[in-house]
Formats: sequence, structure tokens, C-alpha cells
Amino acid sequence: MFAYLARKIWRDFQGEILALPTRTILFAAAVALLLLPLVTDDAYLLRIVATASIFAVYAASWDLLVGFSGQTTLGHSLFFGIAAYTAALLNLRFGLPAFLTIPAGALAAVLAGLLLSLPALRVRGPYFSLASLAMPIILMGLIFSFPGLTGGEMGLSGISRLAGTRTGEYYFLLISMFVLTLLMWKIATSRTALIFHAIREDEIVVRVSGINTTYYKILVFCCSGFFAGMAGSLYAHFLRVVGPSTLDIMMSLQVIIWGIFGGVVTIYGPVVGVFILYPLLEYLRIIPDWRMLIFAGIVVVTLRFMPEGISNKFQDLLERQCPRCKERNIFMRKECRICCTDIGTCSRVG
Amino acid sequence: MIVLQKGVRKLWELILINGLIIGGQYALLALGFSLILGVARVLNLAHPAFYMLSAFTIYTFSQVLDFNLTVTYILSLVFMIGLGVVIYQVILAPVRAQTSTVLILGLVLGIAAQELMLIFYGGQFRSLTRLASGTMQLGDAVISNQHILALSAVMLSLLGVWFLLFKSRFGIPIRAVAQDREVANLMGIPESRIAILTMAVSVALAVIAAAMVAPIGVIDPLMWLHPLVIVLTAVILGGLGSIKGSIMAAFILAFVEVSLVFLAPGAAFLRGAVSMFVMLTVLMFKPEGLYGVFMEGER
Amino acid sequence: MLLEVKDLSVSYDMATILSGISINVQDGELVGLVGPNGAGKTTLLRAITGLVKWEKDNRRGQRMGKITLEGQVSFMGEQISNLSADQIARRGLVHCPERRRPFKEMSVYENILAGAYLLKKNSPEFKRLLEEVYSLFPILKDRGRQISATLSGGEQQMLAIARSLMGKPKLLCIDEPSVGLAPIVKRELFERIAAVARSGITVLLVEQDVAMTFAMSNRNYVLSHGRLVSEGTSEVLLQDEDLRKSYLGL
Ligand SMILES: Nc1ncnc2c1ncn2[C@@H]1O[C@H](COP(=O)(O)OP(=O)(O)OP(=O)(O)O)[C@@H](O)[C@H]1O
Ligand SMILES: [Mg+2]
Repeated sequence: MFAYLARKIWRDFQGEILALPTRTILFAAAVALLLLPLVTDDAYLLRIVATASIFAVYAASWDLLVGFSGQTTLGHSLFFGIAAYTAALLNLRFGLPAFLTIPAGALAAVLAGLLLSLPALRVRGPYFSLASLAMPIILMGLIFSFPGLTGGEMGLSGISRLAGTRTGEYYFLLISMFVLTLLMWKIATSRTALIFHAIREDEIVVRVSGINTTYYKILVFCCSGFFAGMAGSLYAHFLRVVGPSTLDIMMSLQVIIWGIFGGVVTIYGPVVGVFILYPLLEYLRIIPDWRMLIFAGIVVVTLRFMPEGISNKFQDLLERQCPRCKERNIFMRKECRICCTDIGTCSRVG
Repeated sequence: MIVLQKGVRKLWELILINGLIIGGQYALLALGFSLILGVARVLNLAHPAFYMLSAFTIYTFSQVLDFNLTVTYILSLVFMIGLGVVIYQVILAPVRAQTSTVLILGLVLGIAAQELMLIFYGGQFRSLTRLASGTMQLGDAVISNQHILALSAVMLSLLGVWFLLFKSRFGIPIRAVAQDREVANLMGIPESRIAILTMAVSVALAVIAAAMVAPIGVIDPLMWLHPLVIVLTAVILGGLGSIKGSIMAAFILAFVEVSLVFLAPGAAFLRGAVSMFVMLTVLMFKPEGLYGVFMEGER
Repeated sequence: MLLEVKDLSVSYDMATILSGISINVQDGELVGLVGPNGAGKTTLLRAITGLVKWEKDNRRGQRMGKITLEGQVSFMGEQISNLSADQIARRGLVHCPERRRPFKEMSVYENILAGAYLLKKNSPEFKRLLEEVYSLFPILKDRGRQISATLSGGEQQMLAIARSLMGKPKLLCIDEPSVGLAPIVKRELFERIAAVARSGITVLLVEQDVAMTFAMSNRNYVLSHGRLVSEGTSEVLLQDEDLRKSYLGL
């Protein structure tokens, strides 16, 4: 029985993960992160990885909204900030524990998603991008207007911890990231996401096909808001301070940099982007003056030569798509692993 | 960057003059930004950073290297246009099909420029030498000559761009490329060279804004961030692709901002939020901006 | 030989749109190019006049829609496969695009000026061409100040052809000029095109109206599914029963 199960898992593992080089690499990286606390107790490093896990969820939620549904938002920090503030306020003012404040923060972000979907239903394209930019700025104005409640410029501090020990927090955040990004990946490859995709390509055609685009647009905003909100509340409990920086434009723009650097419409691309860029920026603190400049230089050079983003570039290099069944194959294969079509001759395509 | 004007007492005069000048500054930047967006379809977020860089270039030439002002302006113009064109040609143009990548590249380039200036000059406020000293009596208001100069320079530049687009021999090819790049090619119009020309004009407008308006206030490496938000807002508020619209919107936003600062000084920190609120409200009623047209085939 | 296309192939992503097309156009001819919808006629014109190359260059960095373009095109004995679209237009190979596409926000006169980009404004040559164009399409003279987006479909088509004529074409490629025109207007337009051809400009005409095209063309190519099916004078093609039934619908 167990032997059977083990064999089945191994077969699935072989078929789903080992068959594709990019998935193998991602899997290896995940295992390495899980094993990290066993080989090092460098608190700084663990803290960076833990923070990166939070941002990874945040970046992936951005991809869900922007990559898959084409609602290019410039104000994604709205979700992150609103959730962070909600979690912090509930925790500080009402003494609610983390396992309640985190979903509550996410819920607040879902509501923010509803709010943000209003302009999205009305205006399109670049107009929407700018309308979305406005939201966090207006919210920030409100936060500054009520310093008594929100702590104003100083923010809120003294939020309770996620877990008793550092290692506990590390695993909590890492596992949360795996679960949340896997969920997003499932959503992004589901039939519903196909409709998001279709809306991105041509909303009018989707509407005349009898699909209620309004419903799906609101849905994708709420979904993305939920995950970004999870990231925001985790952030509040991990850093234990929440300030206006969570709503800052930089916070919105940063996630775009991570996402596009990593490669959009993949969910894991932005995760890769965060895990490359965030630690890079942190470790550049050894040369504080040159930190942002070097960071900017690396991003510019990378995007200039890989405008499709790192993960997409590597995927195109290592894998090719079967023209018939659209399954991916490792680049060495001459015929498709699923339908045995000859793919030796056709070009590498995304 | 709000500029208090000594010698003028009435509130509405303050609002009018500062609104016009700040509006003019925003209008120059928004105009440059929407020109390159319209002609090359490049959303150049680094544009306000060119403004900041121009201010520092002028500072370097005139106050560090001690050139006289004419030489300074000519050198700054040449240097900045060169820089802008090289950045466009080497970094932005090759990836312009990927709009989101262009967006990020522009942003990151702006950050790079800011960091570079922070390394060279530090974060403190500096001021450029004023071009004109003294004041002038206009009715019962007293206005400094620098303000008059800035205002006339802004208006002249706006006129100049209008002339370029509608009267000069470059007008037709530029507008043709903006309306249909593909067909412009078929008419023998070298679309990529027209884009470079437009980039040069767009940077020149940033240099003019820096040379004329920046001496009124202070300069620092972060001075491009607020204009970035405003320029984006103005271009959208005015309607993408509409030059008239973005200029109007720039002035509207400036007046909203200035009025807030003068009428409710305690709420000055809300100026960003209020501008945004204005834009959001307009968009809810006019989803394509004030003068917008949806670009054909690009919905 | 004015235009010679050898083994031209175009594919978008993995879909082959044109495979191994070879055609040629002699000086002074009016050549018809017909075929069912989606045959690749427009793509062939776009490939000849450099637009496919332009599209390809402008897609750098995009994951989807990789374009491949192979084959040789020579115009007046010169290889033009590697030239950009505007350089090709400069050599006198002018393409009047499908769906007319006037510069919508410009006036009729400004559209004509845009077409005359290669000429000095107010040069004698410009004036002569303008006179010719106005005598061909008098309506454009009266409507000079009208914004071209507000012209009717037929007027827009005349404007598009006039604009192309201002580029001093040696070879004019016109893509589906008759779409959406009333029968009378259509006949009139075809007469004008014939007049253009008589004035010494070689014409490559893409059309759906096979009967009218064949009535005035010297020679024709029939394209289907990205391949050349047949070529020859109208009389010869019309005698081929199979061709008439399966491709021409006559
Ligand atoms: N940019 C493009 N990307 C992908 N496929 C394209 C592109 N342009 C054309 N095609 C495809 O190439 C084929 C040929 O198109 P083309 O426009 O050349 O046909 P056509 O002969 O001009 O048809 P029609 O008579 O309807 O105008 C079509 O199947 C079309 O879908
Ligand atoms: Mg066609």
C-alpha cells in the first residue's frame, strides 16, 4: 500500500517536475530554502529570506491581476497597505491574535479590491493604471489626516509576533508562501483564468460571447487583493511596525520591477524576481551610496537584453512548446512527451 | 514645489501667479512626455528625471564650472539632448514593443539618475542662480522679474511646440507618425528618425523648464518624483494623445495644488491626494479624459 | 523587370502564411492579385514593401508572435529585402494599405502633404503632381480642409490613393480599394486606377472583385493558402474551369 503510494508520488514527481528543467530548478530552490535554517543560523540571512517570502506572495498577486487579466495597476500597494494597517489596528487596539488579524487584513484587501474594480469597470488601459495609482495616494492622505488612530507618519508599532522563535517565524512564512503561491498558480491555470486572459485580449468579444465580464473583473480584483492582503498582514506581524511606507508609490512600483524582472504571466516569475532582487538590494547595503545605482544598473541591463523577464527567458532557452498539444518539453527532446508529435524541427517559442 | 512670492499681498494674486508658473512647469513636462508617448509609443517615466538632471547640469556648468549663462544653456541643451537621444536609442527603443518593460526601464533609469546625483551632490537643497533680479510693478502687484521671465519662457515654448507641430515642415511627419506609424513608413517618412527628433524636442522642453522655472525654487535629486506623479496624472486627465488636453490638465492640477497650499496651509500635505481625487472624479465622468480619443487599434 | 520576388516565405509564430512565393511585375503592367480571404495577399504586399520586416523589428522582446521572413525581393534590379519600409518607399515602390487608413486627425490636404513627404513643398514637381491628383480626384480639392476621419468611405479611398500617388510611385501596390463602395463608385474608382496605370505607373492591384480586376489587368496571380495557385492573362485563367470554380467563384 505504502509502496504503491510512494511509487505513485514518485511517478507524478518524475512526470510533473523532473520532466521540465525549470520546474526542477524551482523545486530544488524550494528544498534549499527549507533546509536553510539547518545549515546556517545567520539571523540576517534568514530574515531576508523570510521577508522575501512575504514580498513573493505580494509580487505573485500582482501578476495574477496584471499578467493574467491585463489590469495594469500602478497602485498595488493599496492592498498591501490596507491589510497591513487593518491587521495592525485590530491587533493593537482590540488585542486580536495573529490568526484572526491576518485573514481580517486579507478581507480588508478584498474590499479594497472591490473598490478598485469600480474604476476598472469604467476606464480602461492606461487610464485605469493612473486611476489605480490615485487610490493609495488618497488613502495615504487619509492616514496622515488621522494621526491619532493611524500613528500618522510614525506608523504603528508593537504588533505581536507570528511565532515564538525566529526559526518558527521563518518556516511559517516560507510555508505560507508555498501554499499561497501554489494556490495562485492553481487559479492562474484554471478555466476561470482563461476568461481573465480572454478579457485581457478583447473584452468586447468576451462580452458578446455571453460571459459576464463585470463579474469576472471584480472577481480577479478580489482574488488578487486577497493574496496581496495576506502578504500585507504577514508583513505587519513579521516586521511588527506598519508605517505609510506600506502604501508608498515605491511599494507599488517595486512590485512591478520584481514582476517584470522575473517575467509576467507565470506567477512564479515574480517570485523568482523577488528572490533575486530583494536579497541583492539588501546585501548591497555594504556600499550604501552605490546601492540603488547598482541595483538600477542591473535591472536596466537585464531588461534591455531580456525584455520578457528572467524566468520567461530561461524557459524559452530550456524548454519548447509542442505545437500540437501546447505541452512544454525539455529542449533536447525530439518528440513531445505527451502526444509524441515531432518537435525537433520547430522553433523555440513561448 | 510651491514658491512664495515676496511683495504680493493679495491671496488671489499669489494663487494666480504661482499657479501659472507651476502650471507652466508641469505643462512643459507633460507636453514633452506626451509627445514622445504619442510619436514613439514610449511611456518614458524617466522624463521628469531629465528635468532633474537638466537642473543639475545647469548647476554644474554655471555654479561649479563657472561658465556664463549663455554658454551654460547651450552646453546643457546639447548635453541633455545627447543624453536623452542615446538613452532612447540604446535602451528604450529596442524594447518598446514590450510596454511594461519600457515602463520599468524608464522608472529605474529615473532612480539611477537620482542616485547618481545623490552621490555627486548629496541630498541637500541647492538653488540655481536667478537669471533676472529686481521686480516689476504690474497694476498694484509687484512681481519679480524672474517670475515674469519664467512665465514668458513657458508660454513661448508652448507656442514653439505648437508652431513645430502645425506650421513647420516637421509638423506633418511628426503628426503622421503619431497617428499611424505603419502608414507613415509607407509614405517614406523615416519613423525611427522622427522618433529621435521628438525625443530631442521632449528633452529640450525639460531643459527649458529647468532653466527657467527651477531658479525660482530649490533643486535636489528627489525633485522629479512629485512632477512624475503630476505628469502622469495630467496626461491621463487631459486624455492620452491630446496635447491640448495635457497642457490644460497640467494647469488645472497646478491650480488645485496651489489653491490648497494657500487657502488651507495646514492641509498642504494632502496636495497629492487632492490632485488624485480630482483626476479620479474626472475619469469617472469622462473615462477618456478631457480631450481623449481612444487610439484606434490599441484598445 | 521592375519587381521580382523570389521564394518569399512569411510565418507568424508557427503558422506559415506565405510559402515560397515568386512573382514578378514588368514595367508598365497592371497586375492583378486575387484569392480568397486569408490567402495572404495583404501579407505578400506587406512583405514586399517592408512592413513585415518593420513589424518584426518592432516585436523584439515580445514573447508571442515571432515573425520569420525569408526570400528575396528586388526592385529595379536592386535588392530591397534588407531595406526599411521608408527606404523602399523612397525608391518608388509605394503601398496603398488595406482599409484606407488615412491619417484620421489631419485634414485632407495635410494627408496629401504627408504623402508628398519626399518632395519639397511648393516645388514645381509637387505642384505638377498635385494638379494631376486633383484632376484625377476633383473632390479632394474641394474638401481640402475637411478632417479626413469625417470623409465617407469612398472619399477616404480616393484620398488614400491620392496620398500614395504623391509619393511619385514607379510601382503602386493597392490593397482592396473597392471594399464597401457602391457599384457605381466602384466602377468610377476602377476607371481612375486604370487612368493611373495609363499614365505610366505600374500597378499591382489586390482585389476581391475578380471580374473587374480581370477586365483591366494585363496579367494576374491567384493566391490561396499562402501558395501561388496560378498565373496568367485574364483570358487564359478564365478558361480554366477548375480554377474558376474553386478559386475565382465566377
Ligand atoms: N500579424 C499577424 N499575426 C498573425 N497572423 C496574421 C497576421 N497578419 C496576417 N495573419 C494571418 O495571415 C493570413 C493571411 O492574411 P492576409 O491579411 O494576408 O490575407 P488576405 O489575403 O489579405 O485576406 P483578405 O482578402 O481577407 O484581406 C490570415 O490567416 C491571417 O490570420
Ligand atoms: Mg487583405
